[in-house]
Amino acid sequence: MILTTETLESNKRFERSCYLNLLPLFFIQVAFNPDEASNAVKECIEGVIGGVDYSQNKVNQWTATIVEHSLTQLVKQGKPFKYIVNCAVMQKSGAGLHTANSCYWDTTTDGSCTVRWENRTMYCVVSVFAVAITL
Amino acid sequence: MEDYQTGEETAFVVDEVSTIVKEAVEGAIGENSYQQSRVKQWTNNVVEQCLSQLNKLGKPFKYIVTCIIMQKNGAGLQTACSCFWDNTTDGSCTVRWENKSMYCIVSVFGLAI
Repeated sequence: MILTTETLESNKRFERSCYLNLLPLFFIQVAFNPDEASNAVKECIEGVIGGVDYSQNKVNQWTATIVEHSLTQLVKQGKPFKYIVNCAVMQKSGAGLHTANSCYWDTTTDGSCTVRWENRTMYCVVSVFAVAITL
Repeated sequence: MEDYQTGEETAFVVDEVSTIVKEAVEGAIGENSYQQSRVKQWTNNVVEQCLSQLNKLGKPFKYIVTCIIMQKNGAGLQTACSCFWDNTTDGSCTVRWENKSMYCIVSVFGLAI
């Protein structure tokens, strides 16, 4: 009888230590990496409008393609985030443009990154916002 | 055990947000003419005012507010946005406003916690 009790106790200890080892995996939240996101976005922009001039007919298609490709690349990174990708393309004609954004979120896990790109005839500003999914 | 109330109280309501944004833009810019020296302050005021009004709604959301102000000068501007989120709980709303000398585009994204 005494032997049986001791075996049960040692089993319980083993189970408890298993749970303790696994706990950190559930509580680690990955932080947003703006550099990685920034690189993915730059490649997308270059791929779509690198070397072309502003064209009113095509700009609609360009902005849609840039946001879709960027989003696909970001999701492929496989991190537990919801993403919002915003792209603005403006013709260079002397007009002033100002953008601002403000976010109410968890500053330890969520983040954003903005990429500004230009060529001879247009400016392109892409903003990525990443909000952590709580598991 | 009471269930957390779902439905109207915790969904992203586009009309409500849209009204908040329009009031914020009117309050910050109103009938002013585009001035390069003041535009930075205007965009900041618009986003801060929107965000504080949205928080007052008391819903369980994280918010992202973006504002673009562009001088009316004949230039073309195109913006697009793509989102990877939960369609059932998250939402967005975009408000386009203009006066004689400038355009203002404000986008609000609400992500459920």
